[in-house]
Amino acid sequence: MNVEEALRDAMAAQVAGVHASPYLGQSVRRRSRRATVRFRTAGAAVLTAAVAVGVPVAMTAQPGTDPVAGGLAGPGTGAGAGVAAPGTATPSETGSGDTIAVPEGVVPDVVGKSAGDVMTLLDEAGYTVRIVKVVTGDAPEGTVIAQMPAAGTAAPAGAAVMITIATTVVSTSDTAPDAQTSWTPQDLGDLGDGRTLGGVHVGYLPKDLEWGKWSGKDGFGTESYTTSWVEPGQEPGVYSIQLIVYRKEAASLLAKRLRGYAGQGARPVDVDGKRAYLVSLSEGGDRITDGGTRTITWTLASGVGIEVMMSPDYEAKLGRGAADRELRKIAAGVALDR
Amino acid sequence: MTDEDEAAFDEFLAARSTALLRTAILVCGASAVDAEDMVQSALEKVYRHWPRIRHDNPEAYARRVVVNGAISRARRRKVIREITFAQPPETPVESPDLGLREVLLAELRKLPARMRAVLVLRYWEDLSEAETAALLGCSVGTVKSQAARGLARVRARMENLEGASA
Repeated sequence: MNVEEALRDAMAAQVAGVHASPYLGQSVRRRSRRATVRFRTAGAAVLTAAVAVGVPVAMTAQPGTDPVAGGLAGPGTGAGAGVAAPGTATPSETGSGDTIAVPEGVVPDVVGKSAGDVMTLLDEAGYTVRIVKVVTGDAPEGTVIAQMPAAGTAAPAGAAVMITIATTVVSTSDTAPDAQTSWTPQDLGDLGDGRTLGGVHVGYLPKDLEWGKWSGKDGFGTESYTTSWVEPGQEPGVYSIQLIVYRKEAASLLAKRLRGYAGQGARPVDVDGKRAYLVSLSEGGDRITDGGTRTITWTLASGVGIEVMMSPDYEAKLGRGAADRELRKIAAGVALDR
Repeated sequence: MTDEDEAAFDEFLAARSTALLRTAILVCGASAVDAEDMVQSALEKVYRHWPRIRHDNPEAYARRVVVNGAISRARRRKVIREITFAQPPETPVESPDLGLREVLLAELRKLPARMRAVLVLRYWEDLSEAETAALLGCSVGTVKSQAARGLARVRARMENLEGASA
């Protein structure tokens, strides 16, 4: 037997008993939707999503491609600036040293350090530390594997810095519903019906939705406000409609994104006399793509931008036509809160 | 994504997913569970672009995503060392070739990920040198030299073994 034959034979024997699961398609679709959800629900809900899925360790163990990593990089850099890059938080040269120089007002590189040291460091620098734990075999337990904003970003004292800490075991106490309360941000407190945030009131929502009982501030740039509405009984970390209010710096980043949509050939639709884009967006929010998240976005008033997203699940339930009608109705109902 | 797209994606999975999974196992040297996870994440990419790629050789696209994913995963995690291979159940334990197969597979796992991918694509998937080169994004010359070096290493190990048992 020559070596090619022998190798072929060995390889055949190796995988002869392997068959793809009949549920593969289902898993792929679920995963596809979840990835979107994780990005859209901003960083702090990441663990909730990862735990709720109950995935094998390997799923969260790929910094380069992992939707979790994408989720972390997304809200801060991607959603705002349209430069989504999972991997912006990879360790830089400076991160490998033992001492960390901390210029004032600049987020230090903390990737690769131990979580305890990093928390002290960030705390002393005046930052609010947010923690996300991710199950991974790639880094020693307790190591910071990603940060947001990225090292070198200017951020004033008091700003939130989110760090992702490697953990190797999903402890049972981390699973929902506890994870929901501990990891979903409640930056804006109890919003009642959730319809008023960031100086904006949402006049219309589909009848079957209720407030998702979480809210985030500045996850999509400074200043931004976000929350979501869900169908009753939906699992944690999942949304049906999510709304983001962009103001100040965040609003100008959104405006840039809107110009980008025009550049990609999107035709504006009319919302209450204003030019809005009703498009399907990639996870980073900067590209128009088939099968993306259905989104309507526009500038409501000078310095106030709005983005309303519909989850692919909810869109599928309504059908594209009805989904677009609902999005336009929601958009028409959004007004400055006076 | 239309209903027709969805149905076509299901058909595609039914026809191709087992082959993709097997290739992934061989290229990244991982267990079936690990490889399935990887194939899922590769297929998620395929699914995301499905309406665009379905009429344009989706199998080649999927294979490229799977193989590149497998290579980078093998590099990143060095799964080759961490995961012990389970022998497939239908391989009789008393098979005289069992030793040889194990030795060959062990040698295969020791190769650099890209070299192993070349061998898997050439001798498992039966792709031509040109197809392999296109898939891996390298030249035909690279495929030839990687295949030759990989085979030489496996051959050396095989002859060594046969020499010992003779």
